[in-house]
Amino acid sequence: MAKQTFTTGQVLTAAQMTSLQQTAMGGGSPIQKTASYVLAADDAGTVIQMNSASSTTITVNTALFSAGDSVQIQNIGAGVCTVTAGTATVTTAGSLALTQWEGGTLYFTSASAAIFFDIVQSGGMTNPMNTSGDTIYGGASGTPTRLGIGSTGNVLTVSGGIPSWAAPAAGGGMTLLNSGGTALSGTTTTISTISGSYNDLVIYVVDYYASSDFGLYCLINGDTTGANYQQFVNRGTGSSNNAFVDNSTGGVDCTGYAAKSADNDNFTYIYIPNYANTVSKKVVNSISGFIQATGSAKAVCNNNTYYAGTTAAVTSLGFKTTVGTWSGGTVYVYGVK
Amino acid sequence: MSKPKIRIYDCETNETIDREMNSDEFAKYETEQLIEAKRKAEIDTLASAKSALLKKLGITAEEAALLNA
Repeated sequence: MAKQTFTTGQVLTAAQMTSLQQTAMGGGSPIQKTASYVLAADDAGTVIQMNSASSTTITVNTALFSAGDSVQIQNIGAGVCTVTAGTATVTTAGSLALTQWEGGTLYFTSASAAIFFDIVQSGGMTNPMNTSGDTIYGGASGTPTRLGIGSTGNVLTVSGGIPSWAAPAAGGGMTLLNSGGTALSGTTTTISTISGSYNDLVIYVVDYYASSDFGLYCLINGDTTGANYQQFVNRGTGSSNNAFVDNSTGGVDCTGYAAKSADNDNFTYIYIPNYANTVSKKVVNSISGFIQATGSAKAVCNNNTYYAGTTAAVTSLGFKTTVGTWSGGTVYVYGVK
Repeated sequence: MSKPKIRIYDCETNETIDREMNSDEFAKYETEQLIEAKRKAEIDTLASAKSALLKKLGITAEEAALLNA
């Protein structure tokens, strides 16, 4: 029922009251249109329903409506019906182009301006989330599906064609197992309780020197039995160049004899692959650069490969000076993934 | 007489312990020191013999190396 101007003493019929009630509730009998239409003053309070297979417009002009008037607009036709600002201003947060089964309310704020409250007839989505941190992904046939948050540090990955949270794959890289490195001290410095959760061990022994001319030995699990260390020596000088020898002293001989000077900047690198296995014996590669103690003081590079006779997992590494005590140097033990 | 000291670092607890060798460790250490002294003596003897031979031949170590080239 269109907006009425009532007069004192006017009597409303039941049908009029029913129509008024329907209109007040946002319903009422629509005024159907099948072609583009320009709103008229007596459309205030009514429902304009477009039903056209072709595109149409509903035009809004000024000086026809008052502030507070409203017109419901519906499109039930297949053609797009566009609410069009004629001489009046029409604003909306939605769309003025109404596809089939869309509609909205044109609400006038003045005689020359209206707001169109767009009601999109969308299927919507049932929110599957129910816990902080949840996310949504498309399940079977795109059904919105809840994915609960993972653990701290997890990354989003794909498993079986759907997303999931998982711990990041372990990269390469080295983890220092003796925090900050360990200063060499005494006759032997031992790094004990080495975790078996890595693939390989890499050891750096840096700037080491002793109170006397010395040799640096690395003891596997504290073993000093010479027969347990079979050595292939590849060194710059000495009588056992490029030779296979049993090490009579026991331990991985990294240097032979090094000069005791603190200024020599000696460095040793040791690599122990598959150190935690308990089936096979271990191979150990040691590369050292140092200043030799015998003959003329010159730089020497030792590249020694050892076959260590233990099938036990390597859990401790001792760094022994063959003579005197350690005066300086630091050992770093890294686990390698 | 105090025994030589050793250092032990524990990767699980990050604790460092400095202590004297126990009797077993010290016995092993003394044996190793004798072996090392013998080995050092052999190296020194060999180095002295080489030096004496080079002096006798009147050539340098580099010249001697050429003979093996």
